Amino acid sequence: MKITLDRPRCEGHGLCEEAAPELMHLDDDGELVLDIVEVPEGSPQAAAASAAVRVCPVAALKLA
Amino acid sequence: MTSSPPTADVDLFADDVLVDPYPTFTHLRELGPVVYLPRHDVYALTRYDVIRGALADTATFSSRAIAFNPAANDALRGTSLASDPPIHTELRATLTENLSPRALRGLKTTIETKADTLVADLVTTGSFEAIDALARAFPLEVVADLIGFTGEVRANMLRWGQAAMEVLGPMNQRTAENFPIAGELYAWCSQVQAEDLTPGSVGRGIFDAEARGAIPAGSAGHIIHQYLGAGVDTTIASIGNLIALFAAFPDQFDLVRADPTLVPSTFAEVLRYWAPLHAWGRAVTRDVEIDGHLIPGGSQAAVLLGSGNRDPRHYDDPDSFRVARNPVDHLSFGYGPHGCAGQGLARLEAHAIIAALARHARRLVAAEPIRVPSNTTRSIDALEILEVVPA
Repeated sequence: MKITLDRPRCEGHGLCEEAAPELMHLDDDGELVLDIVEVPEGSPQAAAASAAVRVCPVAALKLA
Repeated sequence: MTSSPPTADVDLFADDVLVDPYPTFTHLRELGPVVYLPRHDVYALTRYDVIRGALADTATFSSRAIAFNPAANDALRGTSLASDPPIHTELRATLTENLSPRALRGLKTTIETKADTLVADLVTTGSFEAIDALARAFPLEVVADLIGFTGEVRANMLRWGQAAMEVLGPMNQRTAENFPIAGELYAWCSQVQAEDLTPGSVGRGIFDAEARGAIPAGSAGHIIHQYLGAGVDTTIASIGNLIALFAAFPDQFDLVRADPTLVPSTFAEVLRYWAPLHAWGRAVTRDVEIDGHLIPGGSQAAVLLGSGNRDPRHYDDPDSFRVARNPVDHLSFGYGPHGCAGQGLARLEAHAIIAALARHARRLVAAEPIRVPSNTTRSIDALEILEVVPA
């Protein structure tokens, strides 16, 4: 499964980083960086990615 | 099979419902995910999943009718708040340019220092009225300094901010009385110039951006209007609420005092438990079926954020206040493209206040909070802290 970021919509609230620090982080400029984009279906990483998508307050992340 | 949703003879904006909407929310939520309210001719969305789904679906649930009277919706036309993608996308970017967590990172230390000083001073006094002295004083100072307000505007921020929310209700007496005050705010924002704002402030920066052509001509005043209209009354409400909840639930306050990493979770739980916004409108653009119930195109929906936040289908034991719950997906900031644009600033302010209270106070003993009915923002009007036990 692939994590995608709608970059213009992302405002850097950072809740996704708290939900899935192993997959993404805010860089020094407050821009979101996806460290891992592909996650195996059913894996703990996919669960973390799904949690990150869930908490994004502006719906800028997708997992498909 | 599609059927009409259940109907309830409820006045969502009656004084007693505005002061404590939760029994009404429970009643409506148990009737169904969508309940038609003939008194307002609106379809109330009551359950968590339905609310979140509607907020994400801007094509079906348009923001062109966020208020419950046509005059307010007309006045808001063309703002980020009341528009839909794709136009909304550009307006929102202009609005958040200076308001996103990215833009605000430099302010964190200043805000934390301000909160710490203010709370430390109040704790020393031993007793205080928490709404004027803290819940209002702090956001008013933060926003005034951020935008660079001085003089007359600073003095008017509270009443202008309250009126801007009040007029979003149905055309009742509160709405009618507040239109002239909201009009003062609108008039001021229509004529404000760069020189009226402190050099170096974010507000001044917005005018610089307009002068450079980075944002459309004439949009600076609109942005200032949204900062004042949307960002003051709601933050005041949530800070007042958190102080009252700490006083009412000393065991929960003890948990935050013992573990400051609970500060973000605590604020999310305060927002979930007592939503600052009562009802928020959406225009339904087409016939839409929700759990077998039809909402006709052309009607208006009332999104009951606070009802979704107490939905037992989503939150375990939703009527209990638990600071360790961490309900990051609460609905009080809305969700999706229109999710609260100022939530980064609200978090900075509230986290700073919670952390400062946890550092300086051991126990807050409060009188019963006094609430005054208000169409849109549910806030405490007076909260006497009879005794504060220092940490």
